Amino acid sequence: MPKTPLELMQGTVAVLILKTLSWGPLHGYDVSRSIRLRSEGALGLEDAALYQALHRMERKGWIEAEWGLSETHRRAKFYRLTEEGRRALQAEVTTWRSYVTAVSKVLETA
Amino acid sequence: MSQLPAGRRLFRFPWRTAAQVAADVDEELAFHLDMVARVLVEEGWTPESARTEARRRFGDLDGTRKVCRALDARKEREMKWMESFAELAQDLRFSGRQLAKSPAFTAIVILTLALGVGATTSIFSVVDGVLLRPLPFPEPDRLIRLYPLGREGKPTAFSVLNYLDWRQQSRTVDAASLLDTGSVNLTGTGGDPERLVSAWVSPEFFSVLRAPLLAGRGFARGEDSPKAPKVVVLSQELWKRRFGSDRGLLGHTISLDGKPYTVVGVAGTNRWPATVDLWIPFELNKETLEPKNRGAIYLSAVARLAPHVSLVNARAEAQAIAARLAAQYPESNTGYRMDLAGMQTFMVGDVRKPLLVLMGAVLFVLLIACVNVANLLLVRAAGRESEVAVRTALGAGRTRIVRQLLTESVVLALLGGAAGTLLAVWATRALVALAPERIPRLREVGVNGSVLLFTLIVSVVTGILFGLAPAIRASRPDLSAVLKEGARGSKGRPAVYARSALVVVETALAVMLLAGAGLLLRSFGELLHVDPGFDPKGALAFNLAPPTPKYEKSEQLRSLANALVERLQRLPGVTAAGAAAFGRPLDDNDFVLSFNVEGRPEAPPGQEPAMRVAMVTPGYFRALGLPLVRGRLFTAEDREGSTKVALLTEAAARKFFPNEDPIGKKIITGWSENGVARAGEVVGIVGDFKQSTLDSEADPQLFLPFDQAPIGYLTLVVRSSADLRTVAATARARVHDVDPDLPIYKLQTLEELVSSSVAQPRFYMLLLGGFAAVALALAAIGIYGVIAYAVSQRRQEIGVRIALGATGDRVARMVLSQGMALAAIGAAAGLLLAFVASRGLRSLLYEVSASDPLTYTAVALVLVVVAALASYLPARRAAQTDPQLALRGEV
Repeated sequence: MPKTPLELMQGTVAVLILKTLSWGPLHGYDVSRSIRLRSEGALGLEDAALYQALHRMERKGWIEAEWGLSETHRRAKFYRLTEEGRRALQAEVTTWRSYVTAVSKVLETA
Repeated sequence: MSQLPAGRRLFRFPWRTAAQVAADVDEELAFHLDMVARVLVEEGWTPESARTEARRRFGDLDGTRKVCRALDARKEREMKWMESFAELAQDLRFSGRQLAKSPAFTAIVILTLALGVGATTSIFSVVDGVLLRPLPFPEPDRLIRLYPLGREGKPTAFSVLNYLDWRQQSRTVDAASLLDTGSVNLTGTGGDPERLVSAWVSPEFFSVLRAPLLAGRGFARGEDSPKAPKVVVLSQELWKRRFGSDRGLLGHTISLDGKPYTVVGVAGTNRWPATVDLWIPFELNKETLEPKNRGAIYLSAVARLAPHVSLVNARAEAQAIAARLAAQYPESNTGYRMDLAGMQTFMVGDVRKPLLVLMGAVLFVLLIACVNVANLLLVRAAGRESEVAVRTALGAGRTRIVRQLLTESVVLALLGGAAGTLLAVWATRALVALAPERIPRLREVGVNGSVLLFTLIVSVVTGILFGLAPAIRASRPDLSAVLKEGARGSKGRPAVYARSALVVVETALAVMLLAGAGLLLRSFGELLHVDPGFDPKGALAFNLAPPTPKYEKSEQLRSLANALVERLQRLPGVTAAGAAAFGRPLDDNDFVLSFNVEGRPEAPPGQEPAMRVAMVTPGYFRALGLPLVRGRLFTAEDREGSTKVALLTEAAARKFFPNEDPIGKKIITGWSENGVARAGEVVGIVGDFKQSTLDSEADPQLFLPFDQAPIGYLTLVVRSSADLRTVAATARARVHDVDPDLPIYKLQTLEELVSSSVAQPRFYMLLLGGFAAVALALAAIGIYGVIAYAVSQRRQEIGVRIALGATGDRVARMVLSQGMALAAIGAAAGLLLAFVASRGLRSLLYEVSASDPLTYTAVALVLVVVAALASYLPARRAAQTDPQLALRGEV
């Protein structure tokens, strides 16, 4: 586990959150934990940025929120992907893949 | 709009307030921090340091809170808007369906509203064009009219010298012009000689109005000097009609009253005065500037206020100058006063009141239309109680239902408004065509932007006005009662009361309008029965204006008048013909002279007695039909050089010779010829006649023989037993025999003269009468509607009555009396209202009191008859109720 997590590029926060929520509704804390676990701590997603991104996407209509009970029986705000969010995720993933492929090609030929 | 899934709209949580939005953000973030801290504690942190660490790891907590709150608040607002729109669209769709379901109801409502809105809009377009819209000149509010005040405080006219003194002393105006209107004969230029309306003005005139000229220039300084070449500015209309808009005309001369005038310019479309064909500089010659003519008043004045000068300051200055002039020239100016008014205010002076009365009346018609529609909506609402109850039971909020019902009525109102606008375009054209010429600025009247805005506002307001009460009522039905009764709906008494109250209101308003129209009608009838003093049947009159160079000398005028009269007398069928200067009855032109009776002490300056004077040929009295009361009429012997004689009307005899016989007395007029005052011995007294209008008193009048005092304008009157149209044509030919350059104008039969003099009151009467008729019809429909509905609701009860032995007559009487009771209450209230409101009509009434008992009784009777008719149909239907069917509830 590297000591300094990688800085996240613009726009990656959204795709990470959308992907995380595509497995089912989660509250903010779980989204944050899930991203950290799956990236094995490599991605330094700051919570402040996470929450701002969540609310921004809620306004865009990509995700919607509902209050529910957490595992600890506290009121928590659960986010869920909307149809629109699912489409956005697919688009973002495609873009991301082609980007990665292009960059990798350049790096490999070097 | 429909991106929200349907399920969500139905089961949505109530909208959150800004505080709730903030609290939700806080709670969400607090939950996150607590979770992080919890994990830290499990890892062995103390609770205190775990909380601090959680905050540190989160990053910019305060910033995030702010950003999230702002985002959520905005989202909330957007959602609210979206839902409102969605609901509005839903309401509109629903309204459309509801209205389409009952086309008869919809058509009646739209028609009623179209009538109300259309009438209101067309009257408003007149009010807008005449009273409200600013004059079509730059900074029109700076334009003023100035005028001296007469003895009764009414505006009179300036003399040249008094005007020039005021102009010289005034510091409050930028530019000013005197104004004298009259007419000139246009001859030559390859057409018939034509009488044109002309205005004599100061060279500054066009810079007072600041109206741009269409071609050429206005007048230059010094063009009012007698030495300057004669110039003229034409109106665009004359330029186009007579000269084919030929620009080559500029710089060329035309012949006016036989004198050459160079055309220097063409005025723009916005001309003033509106009827003028051409403008000529007012010549300041030796004669007009002679000190003894200071008392000759015949000029108006118009001016443009200097910047930053208020009307009040200008008025104070005018009053001060007037006082100075009075002190300086006591001979002619004793008691001299001056006043001024904004040009527009001055212009619309005497039509302001009647127009506002009409506007008030038409708003009442609109109100009645609203009441009627409200009534119809109440019936409809009663029929829809079960629908509303079901929707309420299913959870629709009350505001939601009220809003839905209001949307429906506003949609109706807008449809009615659209139909009304079409009606108004047509009605306004008709109004302008029918209106008497004396209403100023009528040419500018039309349906325009501000009128349409007015209509839109009126429509929306009426929609809310007539829709609100029924909507609120319908939104709170007694749920359980309605649902239990099933589709029948409730028959609650309150609904009947509300509708009865509306009918009483509209009846009262209709009675008020009827009373107003009745008063005007009575007044008009009185006016038609006024004896004008002359005999209007079988005679015609026309005017001639002999131009000065050709007819400058008295002999020339004398021989012209005598030649004309002689020729006219010889026409077949003509029984009398006469000529007069200033003797045309029911006319605006007057000639008033101060005078004294020989042997009486001279009156102090400014207080001399004065009366109208006319110079007439001997045949004039018979031609006009003025009866001789005593003494003798003029004869051919009363000519130049013989003893000067005079005739008086009875009014003059009464006023100036109350206790003595005027015959034989000598009257000395202030008017002098070659410095010698005219005196005439009274030889007879003739009947009174109306000189200016039918509704004013006959003024005292002095007649002098034309031969002994010949002057300018001539009115010829011809009495004939032949067809007057033939007489007119032959008379025209005879005049042309005498002088082909003399145009004939104001040719009318005396009957037309009388009828056009009452054009204005007739116009107001017809309009108000029309509104009253519409109001009455709407009220009748209202009464019919309420009674018919009440009968249908009482079917079973009536059936029981008939089954128990009540006769059909008795049932009919019962229903009839119900309608009559409503009408009676409405009529009583309406008469009371009329009694108060008719005070506003007082100045429009002639010989009829504003509380005329005959009119009020007649109006009440009309209403009783109409109410009886309106209740008769439902009463008859009630009487024919089949008790068997009714009792079984099958009707």
